[in-house]
Amino acid sequence: MDAKTIQHVNAMPAPTWHRLHMNDTDVEIPAGLSVVHEVTTEIPAALAGAPDAFDAALAAEQVEWEKTHPEKTPEQRAEEERLRTEEEKTTYGGTAYSRYQIGADAIEEARSLARAFETGMGADAYAWMREVAGDPIVIAAPAGEPQEVAVRVAAVPDAVNVAAIDVVAAPNAEVTVVLSVDSPREGTGVTGTSLRVFAGTGARVHVVRTQTDDATFIDMDDAGLFTAENAFIDVRQTVLGGAKAYTGLAGDIRGTASRIDIDTRYLGHHEQQRDFNYTLRHHGEKTLCNITANGVLSGTSKKTYRGTIDLVRGCKGAVGQETETVLLADDGVVNQTVPVILCNEDDVVGNHGATIGHVRPEQMFYLASRGLSQEAAENMFVRAIMEQAAIDAPDEPSRDGVMRLGSHLLDNFEGFLDEEEA
Amino acid sequence: MTRDALLSVRDLSASVDEKTILHHVDLDVAPGEVHVLMGPNGAGKSTLGHVAMGDPTYTVTGGSIVFDGNDITELSTDKRSRAGLFLSFQAPVEIPGVPLSSFLRSTLDERPDMKMKNKQFRKTIKELACELNMDQAYLDRELGVGFSGGEKKKVEMLQLLLLKPKLAILDETDSGLDVDALSVVSQGMDAYRERCDGTLLIITHNTRILEHLDVDRVHVMVRGHIVAEGDASMISDIDENGFEQFIGADDASEAHE
Repeated sequence: MDAKTIQHVNAMPAPTWHRLHMNDTDVEIPAGLSVVHEVTTEIPAALAGAPDAFDAALAAEQVEWEKTHPEKTPEQRAEEERLRTEEEKTTYGGTAYSRYQIGADAIEEARSLARAFETGMGADAYAWMREVAGDPIVIAAPAGEPQEVAVRVAAVPDAVNVAAIDVVAAPNAEVTVVLSVDSPREGTGVTGTSLRVFAGTGARVHVVRTQTDDATFIDMDDAGLFTAENAFIDVRQTVLGGAKAYTGLAGDIRGTASRIDIDTRYLGHHEQQRDFNYTLRHHGEKTLCNITANGVLSGTSKKTYRGTIDLVRGCKGAVGQETETVLLADDGVVNQTVPVILCNEDDVVGNHGATIGHVRPEQMFYLASRGLSQEAAENMFVRAIMEQAAIDAPDEPSRDGVMRLGSHLLDNFEGFLDEEEA
Repeated sequence: MTRDALLSVRDLSASVDEKTILHHVDLDVAPGEVHVLMGPNGAGKSTLGHVAMGDPTYTVTGGSIVFDGNDITELSTDKRSRAGLFLSFQAPVEIPGVPLSSFLRSTLDERPDMKMKNKQFRKTIKELACELNMDQAYLDRELGVGFSGGEKKKVEMLQLLLLKPKLAILDETDSGLDVDALSVVSQGMDAYRERCDGTLLIITHNTRILEHLDVDRVHVMVRGHIVAEGDASMISDIDENGFEQFIGADDASEAHE
């Protein structure tokens, strides 16, 4: 495979000042990598879905959605136009109309759930990942007992190893999707998962992704979510390894009273790069979203976080919240955060908060007074996030990955969990 | 320096932002003894504790600190700690993102003679938490975050018993505590004394915490000067007459400088 640059990855929906250099990023795929498919799955046979299950589910939902969201009649459109003020016509229809606004309007006008659906890393990254991944793994969860499936991607030296996964949860189904990405063998290469989730009416989908690649690999985590009425998707992403880790997630919170929660935990150390992009669009009334990101950065690591909550016209009663906490354990780290609330509806709530800070001198003195040097304190922050990840790991293989990586990074980490469980 | 002093502070002066806080302080603490440093608010008691521990906020402008036979005046705080010096903070800090147990494990990992297997570590800290009447759930909570004042002081006591320092400086550990929490702190001090033959320098302006302790020596500090020293009988005297009797004594000290 030739070297490839995927441009405009993790692009913010509404760009900010370009000189901040954080509107998007490029992913550099090194030359000379082969494409492999070393993916193991633990999926009950009854949950194997048809190849087009995701698109079919979205198409069926389109029909249902149109029943409750009929197209405006020519008379209604004329009345709306008549009610628009002169200012609205000149401001919003004139030069102040941004490319984002034009694009967003076009998507709303198209009234197509399929067209509105997106993944967080963007169309180019999605297309490339789907191409290298080959046929998607399709999981169709029926209503009934909660189900659990697992997809494991092992980094392969000198190779690109990406899994494409489609999850379709039937109405009132509940399914947990465990994704573990680890690098049991030394080398360089690319790992990734390209995930699409459709949660039908009243369905509950839990996604837990744990990435524990060595610092010689690149990881790409691209996801797109859709919620029908009263559906709930929660995603926990733990990003512990990889020289560069790209995480993009977009969610269409479409159905009334549906909800998406994101819980991201990450670690960056030495020269590692972390790049996150979350875009959650509230379309349905009384929809909820909650993005929580907690991370530790040390060494000269760099992190960019973009979090956009888009309160689209029609989502009355929606509440979106995003909170980021970053501990900067070293003066050399670069931390960029852009939380964005876009709002085109009244009677909604959008909140964001961020706690970003270096270890304060009084905190460092306290740690030193207990015998911790600056280096030991940094190790402690790394240890803390690794231990928490091990404790919270969704299953044994994910935990093994954390332990494997933790043992490379920290002294006295081996056996931590064996004894914990004893 | 007293021949067998564990801590010997000699002619110590220290300042912050070019303002001198400690003036030519002399103080000796022998191993196994309990010393009390008393004085009115703003006397510089806590500053002495922090300077002894190497707080970079302060600049030592003169004098020396010798601990366990070694001059530690220039030594970094972490090395002082590993040498066996401990400071219990009046207001322990919060460290979000770091579970208490991870922090405690790291403090032990830095001491080769105290490293423990994880199972033994968990067992030890759970026993200590139990002894200090502390909810074990706190061990997995972020250090200090959302802890009450009493819980924070219990964590300080837990560290004292875990690290077993040669000398513990307790900086107003009793401040702001209710009767129950005070009793736990006293319990911690007793356990430290019994198990480690520990040496204590207790900084306080409240005599209540001293009721159950056999105090060997009392030092009184006023405006950065040690103005009086004596045996435990000074405590009841101060309890009765307050610090008024010492105000002005620092003028005499200054006159000698």
